[in-house]
This record gives sequence, structure tokens and C-alpha cells, in this order.
Amino acid sequence: MSKIKYLKSLLETKEISCVELTKKYLNSIEKQNNIINAYVNVTVEEAIKTAKKVDEKIAAGEKLMPLEGIPMSRKDNISTKNIETTCCSKMLQGYYPIYDATVWKILQDQNSVLLGKTNMDEFAMGSSCESSIYGATLNPHNTDYVAGGSSGGAAASVKGNMAAFGLGSDTGGSIRQPASFCGLVGFKPTYGTVSRYGVVAYASSLDQVGPITNSVEDAAIVYDCLSLFDPKDATSIGSKISTVDKLNSSIKGLKIGIAEEYFEGINEDIKSSIDEAIKAYEDAGAQIIHFQMPKLHAVLPVYFIISCAEASSNLGRFDGIRYGYKTDSYKDIEEMICKNRSEGFGKEVQRRMLLGTYVLSSGYYDAYYKKAQNLRYSIIQDFKKIFESCDVILTPSVPVTAFKKGEALIDPIATYMMDICTVPVNIAGLPAISVPCGFDRNKMPIGMQLIGNSFEDYKVLNAAYQYEKQTKNIGETSSYPEVEI
Amino acid sequence: MIKKDEVLKMAKLAKLSVDENEIEQLIEDMSKIIEYADSINNVAETVDVEFDNINNIVNAFNEDIVLDSYDRDEILKNREGGENGYFVIRKSIRG
Repeated sequence: MSKIKYLKSLLETKEISCVELTKKYLNSIEKQNNIINAYVNVTVEEAIKTAKKVDEKIAAGEKLMPLEGIPMSRKDNISTKNIETTCCSKMLQGYYPIYDATVWKILQDQNSVLLGKTNMDEFAMGSSCESSIYGATLNPHNTDYVAGGSSGGAAASVKGNMAAFGLGSDTGGSIRQPASFCGLVGFKPTYGTVSRYGVVAYASSLDQVGPITNSVEDAAIVYDCLSLFDPKDATSIGSKISTVDKLNSSIKGLKIGIAEEYFEGINEDIKSSIDEAIKAYEDAGAQIIHFQMPKLHAVLPVYFIISCAEASSNLGRFDGIRYGYKTDSYKDIEEMICKNRSEGFGKEVQRRMLLGTYVLSSGYYDAYYKKAQNLRYSIIQDFKKIFESCDVILTPSVPVTAFKKGEALIDPIATYMMDICTVPVNIAGLPAISVPCGFDRNKMPIGMQLIGNSFEDYKVLNAAYQYEKQTKNIGETSSYPEVEI
Repeated sequence: MIKKDEVLKMAKLAKLSVDENEIEQLIEDMSKIIEYADSINNVAETVDVEFDNINNIVNAFNEDIVLDSYDRDEILKNREGGENGYFVIRKSIRG
């Protein structure tokens, strides 16, 4: 069941006031956040102020908008005017944006209740939420494990019942991977459907904002609100299709593509959960089509080259002069900028900037960056061809379940490899969702990914919704506690 | 294997200072990643078309309408209000 619809019905029938509901969530944060570390900034005043406004509307008998009065969390790379926005980096501690990101503006217009800003890997570069200046976010499902990343705080806030939904950003899997690790739904929309204006850029041609939710229907509700054309984002297109209205379409005859390359090296428990999901689809009348994707092995290096190149360019703006971290002592302006950046950015961020500078530098540009861009074009054409005969592609979300604390830091390159299933989606700008599909032998959640063709977000959401409906006993989504928080 | 002087050159371009104690580890990490990035050259079949943008968006030309900009004092708030409307950095003269 949709948690958003459920909470909205409680508000509309006056079973609970928005202030009471908000306080329940704030209490839940207070009780758990010192262990889970989902939030880096809890915006109590802002939340209560909005909740009061919603209660006034309810008292006046006004109809509520889809996300009105719904308490939510937001990743700390989404700019909020006059609310500290740090990207969980020393570089931006104490930085107060002077404008709102468009996605936040939309939610503000809806009177959505912002509970606070959530933890993330520094500048969204990581997949375990451990490179945050504020420390790791733990997985509420089992605190021996991390929540994943980079939107780990957003996922943990939803899983720990500390928010009804969370907004994250996804450059190579940063929404889908933590959703998979925490047993939640994570949706990365088609590139261009959700505005990036005001979202601190990591790799602009790959970044996309999306929801982390308890159910597919919730993801569709949030996406429908966010997918508006924004003239402030040069790559914005928006979407006029209501995905919620299309959630009950039959999947009889739906063509689901499976490529064996996505299954290489995945753990046995994940393999058998995915096999069961495939069977569930077949039972519901879907048609399974096997295809090959030989270039899948090249996607990760292509992603790494492009994302680091874009990061080195995007992060060039942080000089510490107009805002952000400022060093104490320096000889001249050159040294000041170098010191601001070296002392302000963490090691992983610096490593990616150096690599990005390397692949863009004279002598290496053709061998790395240009070649990667050629391959990117070629990979996009391959996907286009696949979607001529398939409606959606089904893969595991991640080849493994959640990492134990500290595990991802031991071998960063081995950790990068774990993005193999999610990264191709960003490279080709496609929509994709991670849905819970079972548990491994340690009882940690497993996620299944469905990928769709560009602007067919509704097909992905509907295919996921039908699966969720059919397999209520498998997914965690149906067993979340209602509002007793 | 990336060389030390290459790492230092990249650091200079990226305006980062690399700590002497950390450079060996950095060389090792960067070399591993670059070696991995080299694997794109194993892909035989590709096309000589460089990716431009995802959704084939073309430039949109808008009317040049002047809108309100941000308030200067607001902008300077992130630097303790600045000084006389300017960002301040300490005077430095190269010797």
C-alpha cells in the first residue's frame, strides 16, 4: 500500500493533524538518528511551520495536493535557501544557499514537510555513505551493515520510519543501490524529466534526482509531482504523462529482456531471488526475451572516465573565495585556492578530480575521454536496439547485498565494480527502478532492477507495481509499520 | 603506471596540493584505476561518433528578458557580509 496515500487519508479524515504527524516523525528521528545517522541536519522549525500551514488548509476544508503535509527527507546536495547545504563535505560546511533547487521549490509549493537533510557520500562520490564528513549511515534493517550510497541517508530515513519518502540523486546508482540495500523502492527517472537546477553537480550528464520510497506507488506519486519542465535547467524536458494513472495496466504480453552479462559473478542468493521474480512475471503472462550485451564490460570504465572528467570540471568552482571552506594561512592567491581545496575536499573526491583532470589533459584526451564518449554513443545505440524488441530489461540491482561497515573502504576499485548493473542506465539516460525481491541467507534485502526506454518511466513503474502486488509476501514493502512511529 | 611528475602535474592543473606522505599511495591507486580505464581499448567494435547529449536537445533561444538578480548582501552572507560589497581575501604580494 502507498504510505503517502495512507498518511494523506489520515490527514484528510482528521484522524491526525499534520503537526502531530510531523512530531511523530521528529520523535522517531530523535530516538534513532544518533545510531543510524540518516540525518545531518534536522529542520524542526521549518517542519512545524509547514505542518501548521497544512493544518490551516485542512481546517478550512481545502483539498490537499498529492504531497501536501507528507513529512519527507532530502539529500544534502539539494540546495535549500537559508538552510545549510554541505554535500557532507568540509568544503561546504557552513554554506547557506541563496536559492532553492527546483525540486525543493516544487515540494515547497506542495507544502511537503521537510524534516531535514540526509547523509551522503561526500559530493555523492561513493557507494557506502562512509566518505561523509559526518560519518557513515547505518542500515536500519541491520545496523552491522551500511545503508549504501551515495543517498544512504535518504534510504535510511525511509527505512527507519524517519520520513515517509526521501529524495536522492543518482549518478551511477546512488538511489537504486541504497534502496536495494535497505529493502526499499528507489527510482531513477529518465534523464531530463526531473530538474537538476540547484542540485550540486557531480557529473552533469549523468545526475538525476529521484525518490526513495516504501512502495512503487509512492515512487510514482513523487515522480509525477517532480517531472516538470524547468527553463532553469538546459537539459530539462519534463514529462506530461501521469505514471500513477498507468499503474494498473496489465503486464500480459509485456516483453521483459534478460541479458546474461548482468548475472555474471552475482551471489547465489541474489540469483535465485531474481529467478523467482522472473518466474512470477512469466506466471503473470509476461514474455521473457534473452539477449546479449557484450559491451556491458566496457560500461564501468566508460562511466568512470566520464564521471571523473565531469566531476573535475564541476568541482573546479569550489575555490573557497565566495563561500565554503577557507584556510587560515597562505602566501598568495594560488596557494590559498590550493589549500582551500586540498583541506576542504576529502581523499576520494580529490582522487576523482585528479583522474578526471588526467583523462581530459592534453595527450590523454583522445585515448580516454574521446574514446569513452564514442563508446557511450555506441552503448546508447545498443540499448535503443534492445528496446525495439523489449519493453523493460530485468537485472539484479546490485551483484551483492549490503556491505558490512568498513568493507567498502578496503578496496575502492572492487567497490566500484559493484555498480555494474546500475551504471549503464545513467550512461544511456534511461529510467530504472530497484524493487525489493527477497532476502539473502543473512536476511539482508535483495533488489531487482527494471530498466525502461527513455521517457517510458510509466512502463518501468507499472512493471514494478505489478510485481510488488503479486509478491506481497516477498518484498519488505508491505510489512512496514503504518504510522505507529 | 602513472608517474610521480604526472600526478604532480595533474594536481597543479586541478589546483590541489598533494601531501608528500600520501603521494606513493595516490600513485598506486590512480595507476590501478587508469589500468582499468584502459580496458575500454579492448572493445573492438565501436563507432566514430562522439556522444553529444542524451536526448538530442538543441539550443533553445529565448527572448533576452531582464529579471531580478540576487541581492548582493544575500550573496555576501556566506562570507560574513564581505567588506563594502566585496569579497575579501588577505593582501598578498608575491616576493
